[in-house]
Amino acid sequence: MDANLISFLKHELHIIALAIMFTVYVAKVLWILRFKPMVERTPAKGNERKAIATSFFSIAMPWSMESTRKKWYKWVEFSIFHIGIAFAIITSFMVSFGSVGAIEGGAFQRFLQIIFVASLVVSLVRTSRRVFSPVNRAISHPDDYFSIGMMVVWFSLAVLFVFEPHNTLKMGLYLAVTAFLIAYVPFSKMSHYIMWPFARYYFGKHFGHRGVYPKIKGT
Amino acid sequence: MGNQTNKSERVSAAVQSFQKKMNRQSIISFGVCVHCGMCTESCHYYLATHDTRMAPAYKADRVRKLYKKYFDWTGKLLPRWVGAGDLESESDLQELMDVVFGSCTMCRRCTFNCPMGVDKALLMRIARGVLFEQGVAPKGVIDVAKDQWETGNQMGISDEEYLETIEWLTEELQAELDDPTFEIPIDKKNCNIVYAVNPREIKYAPLSLMAAAKIFYVAKESWTMSSKGWDNTNFGLFAGDNALGAHMGNLVFDSVERLNGKMLVTSECGHGYRATAWESPNWTGRDLKFPIYNFLEIMQDYVLSGRIILDSSLVPYKVTYHDPCNLSRSGGITEEPRFLLTRSVAEFIEMHPNRADNFCCTGGGGAMSMSEYAKRRLETAIVKANQLKSTGADIVATACHNCVDGLTDLIKHYKLNMKVKLVGELVADAMVFEKVVAVPVHKVAVPAEKVILIVDDEPDVVTFLSTLFIDNGFRTLTAASYEQAMEILALEQPDLITLDLIMPGTNGLDLYHTLRTDNEFKEIPIVFVTGVNPDNPKQLDHRKFIYEHQLPKPDGFVEKPIDKEFLLMTVRKCLEQKVST
Repeated sequence: MDANLISFLKHELHIIALAIMFTVYVAKVLWILRFKPMVERTPAKGNERKAIATSFFSIAMPWSMESTRKKWYKWVEFSIFHIGIAFAIITSFMVSFGSVGAIEGGAFQRFLQIIFVASLVVSLVRTSRRVFSPVNRAISHPDDYFSIGMMVVWFSLAVLFVFEPHNTLKMGLYLAVTAFLIAYVPFSKMSHYIMWPFARYYFGKHFGHRGVYPKIKGT
Repeated sequence: MGNQTNKSERVSAAVQSFQKKMNRQSIISFGVCVHCGMCTESCHYYLATHDTRMAPAYKADRVRKLYKKYFDWTGKLLPRWVGAGDLESESDLQELMDVVFGSCTMCRRCTFNCPMGVDKALLMRIARGVLFEQGVAPKGVIDVAKDQWETGNQMGISDEEYLETIEWLTEELQAELDDPTFEIPIDKKNCNIVYAVNPREIKYAPLSLMAAAKIFYVAKESWTMSSKGWDNTNFGLFAGDNALGAHMGNLVFDSVERLNGKMLVTSECGHGYRATAWESPNWTGRDLKFPIYNFLEIMQDYVLSGRIILDSSLVPYKVTYHDPCNLSRSGGITEEPRFLLTRSVAEFIEMHPNRADNFCCTGGGGAMSMSEYAKRRLETAIVKANQLKSTGADIVATACHNCVDGLTDLIKHYKLNMKVKLVGELVADAMVFEKVVAVPVHKVAVPAEKVILIVDDEPDVVTFLSTLFIDNGFRTLTAASYEQAMEILALEQPDLITLDLIMPGTNGLDLYHTLRTDNEFKEIPIVFVTGVNPDNPKQLDHRKFIYEHQLPKPDGFVEKPIDKEFLLMTVRKCLEQKVST
């Protein structure tokens, strides 16, 4: 791949994509804050702060919900998938604003290879579930299929790149798709992580206020 | 705000109402769902049917499509891409009603199983409110809400009937406790507790109010009930109508302030407690000067402080506990009933799952008033039935009148050998009195020679009822069908009629219709004494029948198998009210 194009993908395009994402995210947060929150007028029965903290950390406590207790493998999939996303983004930053050498050789490259392959497998499993599970099909829209499809493509390119970091074609494709995703995310379901902190905060605040959460352990 | 030119006025109004109801929590719950499907198996509607349309995320999407269309940026540009949609016609409103009223009890079990924290019950309630404002709601919900607006209570009980019932219960308890000074205080000022009840306790199920009165008596509590604003239930919660919610909240709060009570205590009613203690202060915008407790908390306090003493051997049964959704997932009350039951019954056994993981009784969210969805409700109740069955308990205790009705219905439908009782009733049974005086019920004063017409096609039941009534000082007439009943009525007018609804040919409801629309008979009190035909639950759809024919509610309702004491109590209450009117 042409060196100028690689340079554009590494720098200008990446920065443009990040600028779009940042702008839309800020606008989205401001938009959320425009809506008035429901406020409890009663004195709190439970510990709101503890509940809010528990609500945020529930992501790392699969035992705290029946759904993740029973479908523990989905929680494992979720963990791998999101760790994969985090490192796929970190890798793109390292390559764009550092050098390929930063990820080359040693345990870190091996780790990236493992996590990207695992994430690719998980994204394929999730794609098949979205297509073949009647319930998931019923609750899916084109954005759901496109988003998971893009993750398959992205992880595939990440795998190809991380096994051969000096191949400029693979690097170029990986960076281009990364930039596309960064810019597309705010307009898709993938933007859920902007709303997630709000959702967990209000979940903890509401149910913590009433003494419902953190849940008293059932049996 | 989108093209609404082709919509009917009502549909346009519904869409506008939806947009006005958005707040921060709701837009977050609308926007954060990733359609992962983790909530699917938390819902009893889905578990019982495996119908994808019953998956919580699917149901929420029927409402979410409006958010996507009117609020989501991508949805405004590419609606199909993100599942955005609109309400276009009257049939869309009806379909939405089927989802938000008929397929969800707003139990919040899915909320607690959502990794994102989507409060689907909140979304359902918003949609209910949108529809309710336009008059699109199950008839039972509309009627009950109307009763609350007009009479201040959900059963349309008049002031006279309320006060007479309290007076009658006082007399019953004076006899039972052998204490002529006992009273259920009304409008007593400066008491410690102002006690608000579920109208079901006044109309059909006085045992729980009697139990509470006994407990207050033994605990030597300073308490009162109010002559106005005594209904702790609130259909504003179920109908998504915050204005009704505030109206009912204001009535109860005004009572406490008028009587200068130190605290407000709600009886064992799940949604009543949630609405009164948690939602009404928000709906009314009032900063209350008094605390609000559930009766379970008060009873626990009495036991801890030694004000009442319990003897678990007095209740020699295996008892399990059903956590009402509005207490366990929306009210923070899970341990108090366990504290009480482990001290009140011979054997307490946990139901699984329990506490905030428990399944809905299937009668929540106002479902018991929606007769059009009764078949679906009972079908999905298999989940709860299996849960109950696996406990092997004799009695399922709960702390909610709605749950009592829901559980009783499903127990009959699935033929489980189990009774339903409120926690307070069991606590009262286990309570050690300083002076225990057993007074047989027939010693309570009964007007002499009152005549009761028993209408029932089962000879065994007729014999049982006749014997019971004759032993207790009544005279009886019997009829096995509509025709026989009309023949007898042409010859002699009884003081009260007990009526079986399930009879061959012309059924009991037709007789009820005839009697209630005939000037000659319409003043005769009628008590339904009936069972459920499990093969045809519609046969017992008396609520729908009564609503549709605009008939008054029956004066009493006793389900088979018949609880003798409850039947006698109901009959006496009806007769006393007849005398006083």
